Amino acid sequence: MLSVKYFGAVAEKTKVQGENIPFSNLSLQELVDELEQKYDLGSLSYSIAVNQKMVQDTNSYMLISNDVVALLPPFAGG
Amino acid sequence: MRYNRQIILPEVGEKGQQKLGQAKVLIIGAGGLGAAILPYLAAAGIGEIGIIDDDSIEISNLQRQVIYRNDAVGKSKALEAKEMALSLNPSIQINAITDTLNAKNAIALFEYYDIMVDATDNLHTKYLINDACVLTNKPFVYGSIYKFQGQISVFNFQNGPTYRCLFPDESSNSKNCVDAGVMGISVGIIGMFQANEVLKMVLGIGNVLSGELLIYNMLNNDQQKFELVKINTTPLSQLDFENKYNVVATSVLEISAKEALEQIENPDVLFLDVRNEEELPKISLLNSIQIPLGDLEDNLGQLYSNKTLLVYCQSGMRSKKAVEILKKHSFLKVQSIAGGALKLQEIIVNNAISI
Repeated sequence: MLSVKYFGAVAEKTKVQGENIPFSNLSLQELVDELEQKYDLGSLSYSIAVNQKMVQDTNSYMLISNDVVALLPPFAGG
Repeated sequence: MRYNRQIILPEVGEKGQQKLGQAKVLIIGAGGLGAAILPYLAAAGIGEIGIIDDDSIEISNLQRQVIYRNDAVGKSKALEAKEMALSLNPSIQINAITDTLNAKNAIALFEYYDIMVDATDNLHTKYLINDACVLTNKPFVYGSIYKFQGQISVFNFQNGPTYRCLFPDESSNSKNCVDAGVMGISVGIIGMFQANEVLKMVLGIGNVLSGELLIYNMLNNDQQKFELVKINTTPLSQLDFENKYNVVATSVLEISAKEALEQIENPDVLFLDVRNEEELPKISLLNSIQIPLGDLEDNLGQLYSNKTLLVYCQSGMRSKKAVEILKKHSFLKVQSIAGGALKLQEIIVNNAISI
């Protein structure tokens, strides 16, 4: 199982705060591509964390079971 | 004595109080976050506080910018904030700066103050603050809100990660900038987190929120921290910095909402709404078209004509970005409507203009 958490404008688009996804062997980028397609996130900008740590190189990051992925957009309000 | 209750804390003491008295803190923005941060830093005895904002107080600010009185509507935020803070604590110095933070003043200001507090409401200024902090080697306390969620971090603290390490993707950021609505309490909570980081840094106590992003959810009290990674990039030189931020500042052309509404029957004018379709209030103007900012560059074809484009969004932020994009694509007659749909709606309702 993989768990994904959404924040800010991303959560607005997915309409859920988070969800569990059956685990399969894939890179972080592949997971993100799937989510982008599923929720039409293309127009949003966000950073990505796995297990509460920011990840820059999403292509080479292979997910393992029980990983918790977070999509973090910048907030602008104040 | 004024500071007794904090001085008896061993973490503060007479020595800590002296540190507070010697500290110089710049609060950038006198809106919702600034209105929460300023009175607490002033009351705690931060010796010198700068507050920079070029806005004046509007009635719609008062539900969250709680330091302003109802009869101050129309007055300068920075000047009113100064007056409030001094009436709270006349023993400190408050410098009101009635200007925007820009390429011309940022470096000199940042060199003078010890800590910058980001109380702004737009991404462009956050990058400007970040880059100026990197150039002057000063920490900046970041705080920002999206509806019922807030983000807090301390960037560029003792060579720690910067805002660009967290959000390197500057170009596509504007697409996130939906004017979303906010409760006063939400900005109050996040502003308190920021003020707390300032005090910790000055006093040298606790763990500063450097290298971490804190996200707080007001609806379920969920609080999460994310570890940042420092990305080593070549910092901008001062010349690059000035060029980068000057261009944007001078290339934006604005028109007041009142003047814009005088053009509603002009056949040579096209109103362009760059908000998303679901955003309210709906403004139904005769000669108008809606293209969300994120889709603008792909739909320029719909705009080619000899008409003057008057661009608006919710409050006038995204429309400035849209004007930049249109200018880049050689649209010459383009202006952003100051105050956006909210201002337009206000004038339409108040003057019973039929549209």
